Amino acid sequence: MISRTKQWLRERHSAFCRSPFGCLVELFLSRMLNGAGDTEAGELDLGVGVILILLAMPGLLVSLLMFEKYGSLIRFLRGERAFDPFKAATPDEYLFIVLSVAVTGAAALWRWDTIFLDRRDYSNLVPLPLSLRAIFFANLCALLALTGVLTIVANGASVVLFPIAVVGSRPSLSLFLRFAAGHAAAVFAASVFSFFAIFALAGGLTALVPPTAFRRVSLSIRFVSAVTLLILLATSFTVPDLLKRLSISNAHRVAVLPPVSFLGVARTVWVGANDAFSSSMAGAAMIAVGVSLLTATVAYAFSFRRSFIRLPELADARPMTRISSLWSRPAFSQKLAFRSPAHRACCQFVSRSLLRSTAHLQTLLCFLAVGLVISAEMFAAGSDHFSAGKNTVPPVEFLSVPFILGYCILVGIRFAFEIPLDLRANWIFRLWLDSDRHDARSVARRVLLAFSLSWMAPLVLLVTLAFWGWMTALLHTAIWCACMLVLVEILLIRFRKMPFTCPYPSFQSHSPLIAVGYLFGFYIFKSWLPDLDQWTVWIPINAVWIVALLGSVLAGLTWYRNQMLDMDKRLTFEDVSRTTFW
Amino acid sequence: MLEATNLSKFYGSVMAVENVTFTLEPGQVLGYLGPNGSGKSTTVKMLAGLLEPTYGEVTYNHQNIHKDLIAFRKILGYVPEEPNLYPHLTGEEYLDMVGTLRAMPLSRKTTRINSLLELFSLWPHRHITLGSYSKGMRQKILLIAALMDNPEVLILDEPLSGLDVTSVLIVKSLIQALSAEGKAVFYCSHILEVVEKVCTHLIVLRKGQVLAHGPTSAVHEKIGKSSLEDVFLGLVEDVDIAQIVKDIARVMACP
Repeated sequence: MISRTKQWLRERHSAFCRSPFGCLVELFLSRMLNGAGDTEAGELDLGVGVILILLAMPGLLVSLLMFEKYGSLIRFLRGERAFDPFKAATPDEYLFIVLSVAVTGAAALWRWDTIFLDRRDYSNLVPLPLSLRAIFFANLCALLALTGVLTIVANGASVVLFPIAVVGSRPSLSLFLRFAAGHAAAVFAASVFSFFAIFALAGGLTALVPPTAFRRVSLSIRFVSAVTLLILLATSFTVPDLLKRLSISNAHRVAVLPPVSFLGVARTVWVGANDAFSSSMAGAAMIAVGVSLLTATVAYAFSFRRSFIRLPELADARPMTRISSLWSRPAFSQKLAFRSPAHRACCQFVSRSLLRSTAHLQTLLCFLAVGLVISAEMFAAGSDHFSAGKNTVPPVEFLSVPFILGYCILVGIRFAFEIPLDLRANWIFRLWLDSDRHDARSVARRVLLAFSLSWMAPLVLLVTLAFWGWMTALLHTAIWCACMLVLVEILLIRFRKMPFTCPYPSFQSHSPLIAVGYLFGFYIFKSWLPDLDQWTVWIPINAVWIVALLGSVLAGLTWYRNQMLDMDKRLTFEDVSRTTFW
Repeated sequence: MLEATNLSKFYGSVMAVENVTFTLEPGQVLGYLGPNGSGKSTTVKMLAGLLEPTYGEVTYNHQNIHKDLIAFRKILGYVPEEPNLYPHLTGEEYLDMVGTLRAMPLSRKTTRINSLLELFSLWPHRHITLGSYSKGMRQKILLIAALMDNPEVLILDEPLSGLDVTSVLIVKSLIQALSAEGKAVFYCSHILEVVEKVCTHLIVLRKGQVLAHGPTSAVHEKIGKSSLEDVFLGLVEDVDIAQIVKDIARVMACP
């Protein structure tokens, strides 16, 4: 019976894919999941399986953590005799809702460029005997299918595991099903809302912004959206408590805002429609889903009409805006700043690529968004000390802000260096750079410093000066700069390639160790170094210890580098045996 | 019969093509020549129905192609200037998709794809993604995609770009063979010697306007030049080639 159903489904699917419309839907869906760019260039080239696993992981991990929290033995040991699962699980339900919104929203932001049809689709599909209506609806169907896939993947684990963790030990099946249904309804609705909200934003931009300004505006909006999603995630620990503390009228106002309102969906299924507060929240949530769906559809229709149909009339590219930069200085200053003309050319190439390549800028902005959200949290935590104005030294939370931002920017750029541009364009470096006397590390160092120290150092100095005077400002800025310089050296310890010219690094046995190293580094920059900084600002003579510490780290790095074999210092393009025909 | 009548296209206030008129009969190979920015690609897009002309019309068998674009595209084979393909699909998958979208019967589609892949020497590479193909291989895929449904009209925009010598010879002979079978071929190219050998008729374009139009031999006679290169230079380029070469060499020798 099962095999016959499977066979029937397979036949239906194959017949659908053999029809022109089915073929189009399949093409658009695979294009959305695989990305639109060349495999050799730019985009993070992850397989569909890896993408789906990445999307499923947050829900899975958080669900697994819930087993410890809701385990009956743990509750017994804590002395919790009376346990109302619906009441106890509400804060965690909110966590799952914001996780669902964040994961689905992040996936939509990641695939932002591929959800709308582009020049490639136009040149391949429009000359074929297909109506524009078929292309329009096929892409719409693919989008709906993608929404379904994302929703199920992002929430699949939690829909099964969270109810097991919370009510799995109860003997009642109906209770389990009620809980699971409420949770599933809330997180699925939240995912759908998130995807269509981002989609509506993208569609609105395509429909309204002139093509010349689209790229810049789109990047800014994506950055703001990523920050918003991270902030939403950060609210997961505060909103349930906040709702309890607010007055009833204010709580009502907050509760009807998405994603808080999705809690109402879960609670309406759990406790029934008798709870007027939950019902009003659920109503607001459903309105939010409907509005996002409607706006997305209208925006898609407008963008299709305004952008896709007019594609052949639009020029491929416009001239870049000329911005006077570090590189357009007089010849004598360039001789001071760069070791050789080749060095200067490589620095220009890396900086321009970082600023102009969407994939690289997106990666950098993603790290910056994380840094901004954590900095904002730190700043908010230290705002009490800050407003009191009693302190002669800045609070550690304030001092940690530039450390966190600097760390995120430097690690973000370092990460972006690993994403290849067009590998076929590498011949120019192979032809002109001497492998034994290359400047790759120096180029990377200058770009890292130009993108962090050059603008952050004056900012740190001025802001600290405005509140705590010259001495504190100079000390804080000097310590911060020294830490950034050491971090740059650590990040480039084994670096021997021109940024963007190598394929993605393959997974190695020590890759998890590197990931842990980055997390540990973040902790040092978030907590230890600001503590040390405050201690030095408090008693300036302590700067000696910082100098000694950073000096010994630098000496260690230099020693390690001197120990390296010459072959490990040669410029590499890390060729892998891939089937490529030139 | 494909006919363009007073075809004009304006991008805002910028004129790309103005009053282009010609007829492409079955069995003809019409060469379309012009320097960069002369409006060749705009004309090609209007002929393929990708762009609507600002003025004038394109008709196929006396019917405006925009009245029934789908019917027109069924008999059209089009090779665009840029081989802008889906990099995540393999060569075979791409052709299969094109065949399906053209609603070709399964058996005919499979047979043609396999035979054409073999004939264009792409059979061993059929399972490799297009992102890894060389420019010439992508061009061959575009040619196969244009030919696989046996179209009545072929619009080829720089079809030899990136092809090796053998493939160039094959495509040149193929165009002549298709024309002998009664297909109408619109051939847009920069390679003058190929146009001279392959095309029965010629249009020379400059700044969006037709400078010369007629059978290739008639254009030669009219201008009084022996080779197409001379004809082209005489009509289109009002520059002194020798002087430009001299200037380039001078700039290169500058300290």
